[in-house]
Amino acid sequence: MRLGQVIGKVTLSRQDPSYRGGSLLVVQPLSAAQFADPAARGPAGGASLVVYDRLGAGPGHILGFTEGSEAAMPFSEPTPVDAYSAALIDEIFYRPPR
Amino acid sequence: MILARVDGMVVATVSHPSLQGCRTVICQPLDEAGRVEGAPILAVDPHGAGQHQRVLVSSDGAATRRLVGDPHSPLRNSVIAILDATS
Repeated sequence: MRLGQVIGKVTLSRQDPSYRGGSLLVVQPLSAAQFADPAARGPAGGASLVVYDRLGAGPGHILGFTEGSEAAMPFSEPTPVDAYSAALIDEIFYRPPR
Repeated sequence: MILARVDGMVVATVSHPSLQGCRTVICQPLDEAGRVEGAPILAVDPHGAGQHQRVLVSSDGAATRRLVGDPHSPLRNSVIAILDATS
């Protein structure tokens, strides 16, 4: 799982039926510096990506998302999803050694 | 499996049901010399690793699904061991 900040939403007119009940979010992965302060400027922790979300996350929220085949595990039928929002993060305690 | 150092943890009230009650730690991947390598990742920790302890993180999704007891869990990373020493 990686942490990322929601920076946008994707709206669909036609979609795979298994997508119903969720939404697609544009997520920017956090860098190590942003773990300490999500508002910190500087290089991001990787390229932005689209994440499937059923938890109701919105712009600005920090979420934990999983990637790869595990992203499709919560679906009862085979679904073309490769990033899944698993947790809406309330608090991050991050203290790397100095 | 990767070597990592526990640098913190996260709290999430709203999450996939399989994550409820699970301790989720922030793991900083390390190279063979113990230097920081790449951005931190999150892993489920059933062992109770302490802050700054070195751990072994597995990205075996099947093992993590067994660990949380949910065959539909999207989780992938889990702390499988706490390290004493590396050489």
